[in-house]
Amino acid sequence: MQLECHRSHRGSWTVITVLGDLDLAGAPRLRSEVVEVVAGGRHHVVLDLTAVDFVDSAGLGTVVGALRRTRSHDGDLRVVCPEPRLRRVFELCDLDRVFELHTDVDGAVDAPVVTR
Amino acid sequence: MTSSDHHSEVVELHVPARPEYLQLVRTVVGAAASTDPALGPDRVADLRLAVSEAATNAIEAHGTSGIEDRVVIRCNVGAGRIELEVTDRGAGFDPADVPDLPSVESAERLDHESGLGLSLMRQLADETVIEAGESGTAVRLIIKFGEGSAGT
Repeated sequence: MQLECHRSHRGSWTVITVLGDLDLAGAPRLRSEVVEVVAGGRHHVVLDLTAVDFVDSAGLGTVVGALRRTRSHDGDLRVVCPEPRLRRVFELCDLDRVFELHTDVDGAVDAPVVTR
Repeated sequence: MTSSDHHSEVVELHVPARPEYLQLVRTVVGAAASTDPALGPDRVADLRLAVSEAATNAIEAHGTSGIEDRVVIRCNVGAGRIELEVTDRGAGFDPADVPDLPSVESAERLDHESGLGLSLMRQLADETVIEAGESGTAVRLIIKFGEGSAGT
């Protein structure tokens, strides 16, 4: 299935809901969505990966890029990823230590700000 | 039909070197692996991820080298092991050229969007062999499962 991104707002957070396979084929679609959101002045982004069927290192690269993009504008990125099989890919890449992985959008939006 | 203990069954796939074919590669390899009930769903997921990483590298190698040839994926399901081979005709790949990524605690880590594929394959497969030459690269991944479970 071709990757789809849908955008919604929750207070100061922009939620990007991603559907499909986040691989080399899907990554450009997500990358351009994040670029557009950040360029539009929204620097706090929640990536909702609940409906993502598959992620690999090319897909995770885009998530890393999204975090860099938001932080370079003093924003932040939170990731919703309830599926254990997907979380495992973050863990294998050690990226569970870089991202806050949440189980639902409410948890991501309501999570306290962690000072870095 | 009883399971054939020592036979191996080979599925070979030739796909255009385009990212749009990755899903097909994962589907075929996942389905081929699932023909052996001894391989659990978590290992099938590992295999799908590993082949996706290898095929991604092959597709990118053809892209950067401007090669029109197809990428070949060979999946050999044998007793207690699956051997996957992904062959491309791109410029020789040297695993030693893959740089170490900065620590995840460092801010510089975020400057790197790639470079994780090889490390992932090595973690997912029991054996990872990379043969790189002038005419291309072959990545062979071996996944073992159900020690002694085949026919015993």
